[in-house]
Amino acid sequence: MAVSAAFKADLLAAIPSLRAFGVSLSQNADKADDLVQETFVKAWDKHESFQPGTNLKAWLFTILRNEFYSQMRKRGREVQDSDGIMTARLAVHPSQHGQMDLKDFGAALERLPEDQREAIILIGASGFSYEEAAEICHCAVGTIKSRVSRARTRLQDILKISGEAEFRPDAISSQVMGSSAA
Amino acid sequence: MTKKDMVPGSPVRRRQDDPLGANSEIGRKLKQYYDDLVSDEVPDRFAALLSQLEDAEPAQNKD
Repeated sequence: MAVSAAFKADLLAAIPSLRAFGVSLSQNADKADDLVQETFVKAWDKHESFQPGTNLKAWLFTILRNEFYSQMRKRGREVQDSDGIMTARLAVHPSQHGQMDLKDFGAALERLPEDQREAIILIGASGFSYEEAAEICHCAVGTIKSRVSRARTRLQDILKISGEAEFRPDAISSQVMGSSAA
Repeated sequence: MTKKDMVPGSPVRRRQDDPLGANSEIGRKLKQYYDDLVSDEVPDRFAALLSQLEDAEPAQNKD
């Protein structure tokens, strides 16, 4: 069966967010584009297995994520560059404002374990629900929730903005305040 | 891995509080970071890829 025009249009429309997700995962713009290309081709090939009416974006994110992890396994994690080389590359990106802030943020994000990073991105930025994110990551909703909260705590810690979360009776901020990270 | 944090005394954030819920500061930065990526121009290779796939389509059946 031919790929429908609507499917094509949706596929194209999803590219910017797929790329953003890809960069967030791989922390590298070139790799992200390869991931998106791979995702695009796979989605095309498997378009018949997509059920119209369900969430195409989530379906695509799932493909991209699977691709990311399978490439990572293949490469035996040559990706290890925790302290910023890729971040520096990433930062070449022009942004209108708060550039320094963004750079810091990208670097902080990069220091998170992948599972936490993807969780907080999916929930906090890509606009997925916890249920959708759990499906994308093949795990339980509770797992996503705890990854997001650990990611948040960790980011607050790294970025030293613990205070700003205010004094809400919030488990997360009290954790941050209590931490005296070695 | 260095223990030293590279975070320079974070510049005062004068920007308004985005109503992003509990995690406002992190939430706001996260969005900013992500939106910046999303708004990045999409390389031509994807349009090219699409036409390649389209061209290949009818051929698939005859395989």
